[in-house]
Amino acid sequence: MTKILEVRNLVKEFPGVKALQGVDLDVLEAEVHCLLGPNGAGKSTLIKCVSGALEPSSGEILFMGEPLPPGDPAGSLKRGVATIYQELDLVPELSVAESIFLAHEPRRWPLLDLDKMYRESAALLARLGHDSIPVRAKVGRLRPAAQQIVSIARALSGNVRLLIMDEPSAILDDGEVTTLFEVVRRLTAEGVGVVYISHRLDEIRRIGDRVTVLADGRTTATGLPATTPTDQLVEFMVGRKVEQLYPERPVGTDRVLLEVRDARRLPAVRGVSLQVHAGEVVGLGGLVGSGRTELLSLIYGLDQPDEGEVLVEGKPLRSHRPRQAIRRGLGLAPEDRKSQALVLDWSETKNVTIADLGRFSRVLLDIRKEREQAREQLKALNTVPDDPDRIVRLLSGGNQQKVVLARWLLHKCRVLLLDEPTRGVDIATKAEIYRIISDLAQAGLGVLVVSSELEELAHICTRVLVMREGEIVAEVAGKDATERELLRHAVAPTEAPVLAEEVV
Amino acid sequence: MTEAVRGSAFAQRVKTLELQEYALAIVVVLLFVVGAILKPDTFPTIDNVRNMLTQASVVGVLAIGMTFVIATAGIDLSVGSVVAAAGVFGGILVGSNGTSSLLFIAGTIAFALLLGTVNATAVAYGRVVPFIATLAMFSIARGIALLLNDQLPVSLLDLNGGSFGNPRPFSLLWFGNGRILGIPASVYIFIAIAVAGWIVLNRTRYGRYVVAVGGNREAARIAGVPVRTIIFSVYVLSGLLAGVAAVLLCARLGSASPVSGNLYELDAIGAVVIGGTSLAGGRATIVGTFLGVLTFALIFSLMTQLNLSTEVQQVTKGLIVLGAVLLQRPEARY
Amino acid sequence: MSRKRLLGSIAALFLLAIGVTACGGTKTVTKTVTVDSNTSGENSSGKTVKIIASVPPTDHGWLGAISKDAKAAAAQHSDVDFELLQAADSDSQAQQIEQAIAKKPDALVVLPQDGAALTPVAQKAERAGIPVINIDRLFTAPDAATATVLGDNYQIGVLAANYIADQLKCKGNVVEIQGLAGISVTTDRSKGFADTIRKKCPAGGLKVVAQQPGDFNPDKGLTVMENILQAQKSIDAVYTHDDDMAQGVVQAIRNANRAKEMFLTGVGGSSDAMKQIKEGGLYRATFLYNPNMAGTAVNMARLIALGQGFGELVPPEVPRQVVVPAAVVTKANVSQYEKYAFN
Repeated sequence: MTKILEVRNLVKEFPGVKALQGVDLDVLEAEVHCLLGPNGAGKSTLIKCVSGALEPSSGEILFMGEPLPPGDPAGSLKRGVATIYQELDLVPELSVAESIFLAHEPRRWPLLDLDKMYRESAALLARLGHDSIPVRAKVGRLRPAAQQIVSIARALSGNVRLLIMDEPSAILDDGEVTTLFEVVRRLTAEGVGVVYISHRLDEIRRIGDRVTVLADGRTTATGLPATTPTDQLVEFMVGRKVEQLYPERPVGTDRVLLEVRDARRLPAVRGVSLQVHAGEVVGLGGLVGSGRTELLSLIYGLDQPDEGEVLVEGKPLRSHRPRQAIRRGLGLAPEDRKSQALVLDWSETKNVTIADLGRFSRVLLDIRKEREQAREQLKALNTVPDDPDRIVRLLSGGNQQKVVLARWLLHKCRVLLLDEPTRGVDIATKAEIYRIISDLAQAGLGVLVVSSELEELAHICTRVLVMREGEIVAEVAGKDATERELLRHAVAPTEAPVLAEEVV
Repeated sequence: MTEAVRGSAFAQRVKTLELQEYALAIVVVLLFVVGAILKPDTFPTIDNVRNMLTQASVVGVLAIGMTFVIATAGIDLSVGSVVAAAGVFGGILVGSNGTSSLLFIAGTIAFALLLGTVNATAVAYGRVVPFIATLAMFSIARGIALLLNDQLPVSLLDLNGGSFGNPRPFSLLWFGNGRILGIPASVYIFIAIAVAGWIVLNRTRYGRYVVAVGGNREAARIAGVPVRTIIFSVYVLSGLLAGVAAVLLCARLGSASPVSGNLYELDAIGAVVIGGTSLAGGRATIVGTFLGVLTFALIFSLMTQLNLSTEVQQVTKGLIVLGAVLLQRPEARY
Repeated sequence: MSRKRLLGSIAALFLLAIGVTACGGTKTVTKTVTVDSNTSGENSSGKTVKIIASVPPTDHGWLGAISKDAKAAAAQHSDVDFELLQAADSDSQAQQIEQAIAKKPDALVVLPQDGAALTPVAQKAERAGIPVINIDRLFTAPDAATATVLGDNYQIGVLAANYIADQLKCKGNVVEIQGLAGISVTTDRSKGFADTIRKKCPAGGLKVVAQQPGDFNPDKGLTVMENILQAQKSIDAVYTHDDDMAQGVVQAIRNANRAKEMFLTGVGGSSDAMKQIKEGGLYRATFLYNPNMAGTAVNMARLIALGQGFGELVPPEVPRQVVVPAAVVTKANVSQYEKYAFN
């Protein structure tokens, strides 16, 4: 099998730090090679060197046996290296066809050849099995999953031989991930090599052929089969045995902290009733579009329900506004923490205290007290760094999430509403967050967790509720839950079961 | 990058932060030094410093209000026109033979507050884009100023509590020229408002909320900040301070002129922006605004004293502003 | 590309070409004003004369008076259909005039915010057969207006220089607070002043120590004068270009307690100025620049539209340029001119 990519002893130094300290990697034709590693391991730096966005300090990168011109993105692109980043680099106002051919549009001098553009876009999308995406539609109108397909089509339009995908599944739900995998398989069937970066170990098992693990800028293991057991992979990543990814499953009490009665807000939520008890972690699973995030927004007061009631500790919420919800003890960690939860230019302290400034002020704010208490919370959650003045923008995803959690712990909230708490978080920090959730439950809080990673829910929840099209269709006890079981409920019975034999 | 990388990058940032944050202070000092060298007899004198501070106070008061508005990622283009309209209103209220300074001051501030509230309603409840809403008020207020007294100015020279050359303390004209311990009353007012502005912005819940709304409106909302109320309040505040500025201006002018306040909003916005407050919201500094106001006052005074022609003045002012902005942190620019 | 698109592009290009030729054509319209034997301004034909006037934004008392005078003059005639357009700024004044041309008035009266900038649109009106009467701020091309009414700005400068030179006996420091930079009014007033000082005081004893624009605005006048007072330890006279603006200058001088050190002259003839001149002290003189030249312009526009002229002229025609004389108003003669004060 031909090696498409060979990376030998790649070193990249920035002033003050060695981001890559000798990385080795090969990618074969038609293989899906997964790249695994904690945040800060150097995965982004590595792929930027390969794509030409950065120039390596030393080492070799061979593409199809020939050295790749260093630091030349256009050159790498010409040779056939395409990268799909996590934050898709698409312009919302352009049409699908325009996006696919951006910067290399077909022309009939001096004007654009729009017919050819539409035709070839449609052909590319068909190659990916997605000819249903309309080529004239504006990219901004498409679902994130479809936008991603457009990105991949864009890569294809340039005759890609090596496709690098940086955490593509972060914005997708399980069903869409499966669809993505089909696309990836089509590509490899054509001989394209794929480098797939992900934090989700289950995906690596499903789609990967081989795995390379990076940690601290070095390759700690390469060429491993994708079927390598999880704890071995984790050990390669973290350098030590992670005792267990998932903590003890919390057992709830009888005391009802949160109750939702017949909440309805069309079209997303069509009549949901549930209870969260003190000490339990309730999972909300389902596919994108099932209404889970909308349900949380409804409970928290971001949206007004058409009908229904929300009761906290037996007393109904009179007005539906976040302030009221917070006052009664609810806390929300939203799905997109950067755009919905944090003021990125602010320090950790200010982000932690924003929901509860009354605690530190009579007339004027007691800045010192604020800092101290914020630091306490950040330390308790093992936030790195726990420097109260550090600008939040500089933190890793996992630590940013901890800042959000610290906010609610400071406020001593009683019910935590978490929306995708481990999205974009590396393995080691994920484990920490699971433990934090478990500890909180044991301390008497109630936790309602929305997650697209059904496996995660299956392991950390006391019980899991599955939503489909705005309603709760199933409740599965935590210890009985498996990913397959949950997915079965999440998908409408009329649809063909999406997974078939791919689930390991 | 590993944590080690983040650590050292931050350390570097701290160092550069110290330099750039004080860049404007350096500009102010530089301007003063240049002025002292070029006009040693007349520029670096106590009298001139008093003069510059007095001139700075009208736009300065406006700029403090503007800082709050811009901190929410909004803008208020109407303050200059509101100054004119409020002054003329106050003048009409007092009447051509009136002598009640209190009536004038109260009327002026109340009218400006009213106009600010209209802006606030349009932006916070009407969901009109701040640029458009305040641009409309810019036009409307100017029209009101011209209409109220048939395009004529209102003389306020009688509001001196007694004699012209020596206005009674706290009469209107005293606010223009009266002094306490050698420092003009208007300067005290400007500094008091600046200090109050700083305290509110940095040491109160309200101030924190204002910056939160600008920093990330959605996150602020989710964190329980009453976003709409905050946005409403900053435009009301801007109106209130426009009223105060109108009082200070009319006090010095001795009349309420319907054509005054021309383009003051641009000076206020300019001072706020070169001071380091971000137009995109989320970062605000009263100290920066104060220095920005001083910068403009210094530039104006120096160029007039040097008797530079208009064209040269305009180019020079533009270059100094550009220079001040370039010295700032890259993120602070926009 | 598809055939449809090709045809579309060609059509667009075609239309564009037509448009360009239509706008850019040069046609000279020679105008002959048919002279009626009736020279008293009576309208025996009974036709209505449609006059549209365009003035700049009223950011100034004098401009406000212009609008009032124009309207008052039009109201005197029963056969005039008068419309006054007030522009928001220089650019929109051009647009307004364009729209006015489309309404095909019998005459256009224009006080341009900026004479040079509005010359093209005035030329356009003239070419379309609409006579333009230019007030005060001059257009920069002779074919832009049929007739012009202006104050004698240069003369004002001369008169002011003469007055100040006489008062100071050609010795002393003079400060000039100008109007809006760049327009003919300001340039003429400054030039008249400078030329005369040179001629009258060749020894150089009278010095202009500071010259700054006050934009015809009282608060600008105030702040500029405050700074000049700081820079100049000894000032003997202040020559300002405008009475309204001068109010701010006066205030600055008074606030600095230097009213006894110098005296001040203005331009225009506002009632505030006349009042202060009457009282005596700092404000010593002003030079008439009466906004009722607008009334004159409207009357002239009407005559031109009716094909008539000034009876005193032989043959009776409307002269191309009417220069309204400036006069010196001091305490000695202020009672004569008070009734013409504006505002």
